[in-house]
Amino acid sequence: MTAGRRRLAAVAGAVALLVLPTGCSGGREGRYAGVSSTAATRAPEQEAKGLHAARGFRSVRGYRTTPVPVRVEIPRIAVASTLDRLGRARDRTVEVPSRWEVAGWYAGGTRPGDPGSAVILGHVDSKSGPAVFYRLGELRRGDAVTIRRADGSSVRFVVQRTEQYPKRRFPTDDVYYPTLTPALRLVTCGGQFNYATGHYRSNVIVFATIER
Amino acid sequence: MRSRTSLIALITFVVATAVGCGPATADRSGSSAPPPQDHQHAVRLAAGAAAPTSPRQLRAGFEQLLGLHALLAVRQMRSVVTAAPAFGQAAGVSLQTNTDELTRLVSSAYGGAQADRFTKLWQHHLVDLLAYAKAVAGNDPSATNTARSALLADADAYGSWLAGASKGRVQADDAGAGVRVHVQELMAQADAYAARDYQRAYRIERQAYEHMFTAGAGLAKASLTPEVAVGVDTPPEQLRSAFAMLLGEHMELIVDAQRATFAGGSEFRAAAAQVNANTAALTKAMAALVGPAKAAEFQSAWANHVEGLMAYTAAAADNDQTAKTVAKQNLDGFAERLALYFSDIVKNVLAADPLTQAITAHDTHLINHVDAYAAKDYPKAQEMELAGYQQMLAVANTLVSAIQRTVKPQLPAGGSKTGGGGMACRRP
Repeated sequence: MTAGRRRLAAVAGAVALLVLPTGCSGGREGRYAGVSSTAATRAPEQEAKGLHAARGFRSVRGYRTTPVPVRVEIPRIAVASTLDRLGRARDRTVEVPSRWEVAGWYAGGTRPGDPGSAVILGHVDSKSGPAVFYRLGELRRGDAVTIRRADGSSVRFVVQRTEQYPKRRFPTDDVYYPTLTPALRLVTCGGQFNYATGHYRSNVIVFATIER
Repeated sequence: MRSRTSLIALITFVVATAVGCGPATADRSGSSAPPPQDHQHAVRLAAGAAAPTSPRQLRAGFEQLLGLHALLAVRQMRSVVTAAPAFGQAAGVSLQTNTDELTRLVSSAYGGAQADRFTKLWQHHLVDLLAYAKAVAGNDPSATNTARSALLADADAYGSWLAGASKGRVQADDAGAGVRVHVQELMAQADAYAARDYQRAYRIERQAYEHMFTAGAGLAKASLTPEVAVGVDTPPEQLRSAFAMLLGEHMELIVDAQRATFAGGSEFRAAAAQVNANTAALTKAMAALVGPAKAAEFQSAWANHVEGLMAYTAAAADNDQTAKTVAKQNLDGFAERLALYFSDIVKNVLAADPLTQAITAHDTHLINHVDAYAAKDYPKAQEMELAGYQQMLAVANTLVSAIQRTVKPQLPAGGSKTGGGGMACRRP
């Protein structure tokens, strides 16, 4: 159909539909007062059933909290670790895991699978060798991360990107700010090592979203 | 200082609601005042009434207007399927007003010439949606296919338009794909509704609304340079958007359930299921902000609010004045408790009294809406719906702003010291 003919047909259609939307007589007022040929014809007794159902309406109640995470598995980098619970240090940073080989979940934040960013931290190394997140920086878009919960359920996330940030410019909002989309952030150290302080200068952050 | 500004903003919108909607706040007796002569201009969304002053307002405006477009289109299509011309005409007027608002916003973002092109495309879209609904209602497969093809062509035309209007910042295929999803959802809900598969119809309606928030954000960002667009997609802005979507959705799903009270039981249950899905989503959203214990507290207060609204609705549908009075008294109590909850979680950045007034104004919109609907005064019902949607979005923005001011200082600070050996930086 040409643009001109289409426009003409559209206008004609609009007029017809606005004036007499269904071709029914104007005498049928009300939502379900009558219909000629549609599948949605309703009898008067159905109106009473709607009212009956409305009287019995009950809102959803009994919010059930998502079980806490107990284990993280990242096959791509051969990580399978239980999860310690982490709180906040005095300087307002998130505590780091007390064991090199075990990752930790920031329990003051989101539970994995809930709306928001769940945050899991792990060391990259110790003085004696690689730690649990030694290979975290190798994760790439599409890699899977599975979180197992205390009730035996699990939730899978898919890596979207892996970034490295100087600790002085740590993207706090991107990692910790509440969001209504279930997400996961994996955090470890990276970049240059400052031998004077005994700490790395940067953090490696993996951004993952829940698998649909 | 900030808290005072927020309070003033909150009081302003409460007062504005009272002034702008007359009976919505002044009259809770249930008696409907005569509807304004010109409903088309009686209610306007703030987003479209004036040019947005910031990119963030532009995003919010597009999201909220496109979300409303989806809902109004759904209802107009269903009015065709159920042969309810009086209601359909009222929904059609609201849809046209929505289109006018959208056009104004497009004009402020892309200029007048592009807005003219957009309007023509959008009018085609509206006409073709109606044609589809009519074809479904008439059980006419040939006309259905024709309308389907026209709607998909509209989506492609929209993609081409946005690619040009955005000066290539958006690819035509990408933009068209978003609208294709939109029209497919609107067609699918009409099909389901005609087949009396109400659970599916209402579920798709909710999806269609939510997807239009994504489309609205995209439309806003496409008008901005990449540097500016980043600023409207920050975590705080995403949070504001998500809460506005959920609270606006709450208002609109209650409207759906109220109207379904006058329909069959299966339709009511389908509409109510989406109300409950929204409540569950809102509760999870609150959990992301205030933790699981406070979220459970929220759900209880919110459930009372929702049940109170439906109790009034049933009383109105039954024309039971005594039950209506009791329901209204209960709603006032629920509003006070909900306001105390919100005031508490934002650490009194917002005082309970204006919050109570805001929630009561929300209740009043819905009370007046169902009263008007019961009286078959559909223009007035539409007026209350649109005013209620606008007011709910204002509440959402004020509330989220206060929540964000409370949340931000509580976030953990800086990077973590998750390395101790220095060997990781020496690996090949």
